[in-house]
Amino acid sequence: MRYILLLQQIDTLRISKTEFVTKSYSIWLWLSIIEFILIAILFYLLYNKRKKLAFSDLSEANLKESKNTDIDMDNIMNSIIKSRELYKELSSVCHPDRFVNTSKEKIANDIFQEISKNKRDYKELSLLKERAIKELDLIFLITIKRQNYKISDIYRLST
Amino acid sequence: MWYKIIQIIEWFGDMADRYKLIRDFNNSAKNYFISGKAGTLLEAKITWGDSAYRHAFSKFMGSGFRIKALSGKYMARYELIEIGNIILNNEILVRKLISLGWDTLEVQDNHGALGCKWALKEYANIGGFLNN
Repeated sequence: MRYILLLQQIDTLRISKTEFVTKSYSIWLWLSIIEFILIAILFYLLYNKRKKLAFSDLSEANLKESKNTDIDMDNIMNSIIKSRELYKELSSVCHPDRFVNTSKEKIANDIFQEISKNKRDYKELSLLKERAIKELDLIFLITIKRQNYKISDIYRLST
Repeated sequence: MWYKIIQIIEWFGDMADRYKLIRDFNNSAKNYFISGKAGTLLEAKITWGDSAYRHAFSKFMGSGFRIKALSGKYMARYELIEIGNIILNNEILVRKLISLGWDTLEVQDNHGALGCKWALKEYANIGGFLNN
């Protein structure tokens, strides 16, 4: 009799254990579903936020060319170190006011505009310096400037 | 499926390009400092960036491009601004920075954590950007 009772107790224990396992299974299932929904909502919000950001209308293909361009780092370093000085020198020497009522007034205007546009690009400024030497005959002026003459002297000599 | 694989390969390519740009800048700055042409040694590195400056191509962690003075003479505030302006005036470089996932340009002196920062998206010249 005792043996039968013991068997019955074991059976009831087994049943309760399986019930517990199925219950725990269902809890984990619901939890994973909730997690999945939360992740989906977060992705949706992130996607929407990204849509509102700048350049969201551009595709990756638009950027491909920009990605593949080579950057002249030496020019950047030169610009950081020397462009300020070169700009000052060129803007004072090539100023259009120095060429008023001369045949070079228009060229000087063009060059000065270019100088102002590229005031932080050393490479462009160097090219403009060469152009100014060629078109405005500034070789003489620049050599004088190197010998520490005053700008007024340069002006007098150029005219 | 293939499109996703290409995207993953491109992502790794972008990372390589990012580090190449940083390495090129640092090498150039080092050469100029060693040869005596530059009075300050500059170093570029990737930082977190500013979340207010984000754009659609910003990288999640590492959207800041910081140029920091490491040694040499002290840099005045106007010099920091000048360095920033030189970078921002170079339209090709700005576009490249944006396309590689940077959104913030930071310039810092070697003393203290204060510096200047700019949002790259404001200097990208959107009209030209779309046409290219």
